Amino acid sequence: MAAATNFDIYSEHAQLRRPLAWSFGLHVAFAAFCVLYAISLQGFRKNSWGSGGTGDAMGATLVSTIPLPANPEQTTNVLATESKGLSKSEPAVQEKEPEAIPIPDKNTKTKLKPAPVKSATQRKPEPEPAESNQIPYGEGGPVSGPYTMTAGGAKGGFGFTGSGGDFGSQFAWYVQAVQRKVTENWLKYEVDPRISDAKRVYLTFDIARDGHPSNVEVEQSSGVPSLDQSAVRALQRIDTFGSLPSTYSGSKVSVEFWFDYKR
Amino acid sequence: MLKLSNSYRTIGRYTFLTFAALLLFAAASSAQDWIRTGTGLGVERVRLAAADFKPSTSDAKNAELLKTFNDVLWNDLENAGIFDLVSKSFYPLQEPGQPSDVNFSAWNSPPPNTSMLAFGNLGAASGKVTVQGWLYDVKNQASPQVLGKQYADNATGDAVRVIAHRFADEIIFRLGGGVQGIAETKIYFISERTGHKEVWMMDYDGANQQQLTRAGSISLSPRISPDGSRLAFSSINKGGWEIMMYSFDLNRMVAFPRFGGMNLSPSWSPDGKLAFSSSRNGYPNIWVIDGSGGNSRRLTSDKGPDVSPTWNRKTGSQIAFVSGRTGLPQIYTMESDGTNLQRITDQGYAVSPNWSPNGQFLTFSWERKYGPGEPGSNDIYLMDVASKQWVQLTHDAGRNDFPCWSPDGRHIVFQSHRSGSDQIWSMLADGTNVKQLTFASSNTQPNWSWK
Repeated sequence: MAAATNFDIYSEHAQLRRPLAWSFGLHVAFAAFCVLYAISLQGFRKNSWGSGGTGDAMGATLVSTIPLPANPEQTTNVLATESKGLSKSEPAVQEKEPEAIPIPDKNTKTKLKPAPVKSATQRKPEPEPAESNQIPYGEGGPVSGPYTMTAGGAKGGFGFTGSGGDFGSQFAWYVQAVQRKVTENWLKYEVDPRISDAKRVYLTFDIARDGHPSNVEVEQSSGVPSLDQSAVRALQRIDTFGSLPSTYSGSKVSVEFWFDYKR
Repeated sequence: MLKLSNSYRTIGRYTFLTFAALLLFAAASSAQDWIRTGTGLGVERVRLAAADFKPSTSDAKNAELLKTFNDVLWNDLENAGIFDLVSKSFYPLQEPGQPSDVNFSAWNSPPPNTSMLAFGNLGAASGKVTVQGWLYDVKNQASPQVLGKQYADNATGDAVRVIAHRFADEIIFRLGGGVQGIAETKIYFISERTGHKEVWMMDYDGANQQQLTRAGSISLSPRISPDGSRLAFSSINKGGWEIMMYSFDLNRMVAFPRFGGMNLSPSWSPDGKLAFSSSRNGYPNIWVIDGSGGNSRRLTSDKGPDVSPTWNRKTGSQIAFVSGRTGLPQIYTMESDGTNLQRITDQGYAVSPNWSPNGQFLTFSWERKYGPGEPGSNDIYLMDVASKQWVQLTHDAGRNDFPCWSPDGRHIVFQSHRSGSDQIWSMLADGTNVKQLTFASSNTQPNWSWK
């Protein structure tokens, strides 16, 4: 029995010799091919080592395409809400360097400092102007999200005069609708981008019974032609404010509308 | 494979450089990309409370009808995009059903702190329903009433739904500066739920979906006429792709001339002409015909392909379209006689333009960085036609295509693949308040009615 087993094992070795040889040969051939291929490739693109480049992986650039809201400014108060207050953060305490005592030098001549001349027109040191827009910590405005589409600084005011009585107090909702509609149609990018602040521009116009604005005129110019023009265009863009309230007896209302521009 | 990726790398390097240069240029020319769309959003919304309507009779149907009415009214007001709706949890316990019940101080001070209040009552009696609705300016006690309406109809859920839509539209019309509401508008689209691509229609909020055509082939790009009486679309038949016409007066297909070649993507002008893409002379070009199909003339004469024309909906004097004349499809504008051709997108893959009702904006689907390995997909963009400033409305939400404006210019309906299949979604024109309208099968190419 034992002899038979030995014989079987021996015969298996004999059967495996050829395949093992093939396997070894092919492995060597494949390794050689890999080495040769790598060398040949290196020859083709000599300057690709260490040259940087943009890389194939796009994962790294994906983050910049997501419109993440900017980090809110840090406030020093840990109890502050998410909304950023307008107060300045406390200045960092600066450590003073110990004053170096100069070693007296024998050779240098001491220069006489000229006495400070007191002129009659010298100004007194002005007190720092108090910041009027300071808001205490944690009491800032609402949290600003990534979709703020309000026209910052776009404000408008108005006075209504109609023949049918006290229009403004009777139909406050209509007045508000007019204000909203004009503000919506005022495109601030039409104003010269170099202007950061301008005087108020006053427009006058009439609203007919059907809600159509007419007789748009600049009553008082801001001095900035592009701002005046943008205000007039805002009115020209509007087809109708909606017909006047049916309980209103007059045939039209006149509106004075002012625009405050601040970039 | 290694060599291929190497060439991609060099391409990537060039596109990166060009893109960086473009960015620099853009930063130098205009400091901000986010323009104000000026479509009634964001500027001091009206604070509005909509109290649940009260039953005015003791009919058994009241509860069901009231639920439909209150839900539809609330949704319409919320979808309008011009209100800051006060949450119902802030309302006082005593909600009014009659003008005499209104407790002004309970509404115009916190917690509700509303400036407008909609309220009323509904009562069914012997198969009929009567609805009374009011809109009060509760901060103006001297003359509070802005609106008072009474409606009567059969006591069915559908009728009550229409009444709620009408009342909501009245409120939106008064407080929205004279812009008609869209609660009664329709959306036409292509649906595959019968196994074929057929034209379907639904209410603007996704309710009442119904099939219009039964051609059994493939129908595409439905476009409702400005007066709402006819629907043009392109469909494949024995002769190829042809423009087809459906009449809502007759509720059936009507005959329309066949032109030969491939005729695609019809578009109505405000005065009832049709622009479409036709290859009857060899290359796909933009053609214009009368609403009856006669008097055809060609507007573009290059090799194209030129497709997807859309008219300036306010003036009818300009046409925007997609052309592949420089390779990838880009959006061009021209006058309605074919002159003054201008390319308005500078890169990527831009398709499906649609002109806003006020003529000021174009919305379209754009893949700004097109190519293998580039991030992003087709997203909906909005461009101010005069200044060429644009803003991206959808972000990181699958493939979005076929945007179409609502008649009030405050909403955009579009097709999106964000849920895993192509469905129809709507949003406000600033990209917020995104809502899914269809859920079954695959629904594409929405088109909003003109009024």
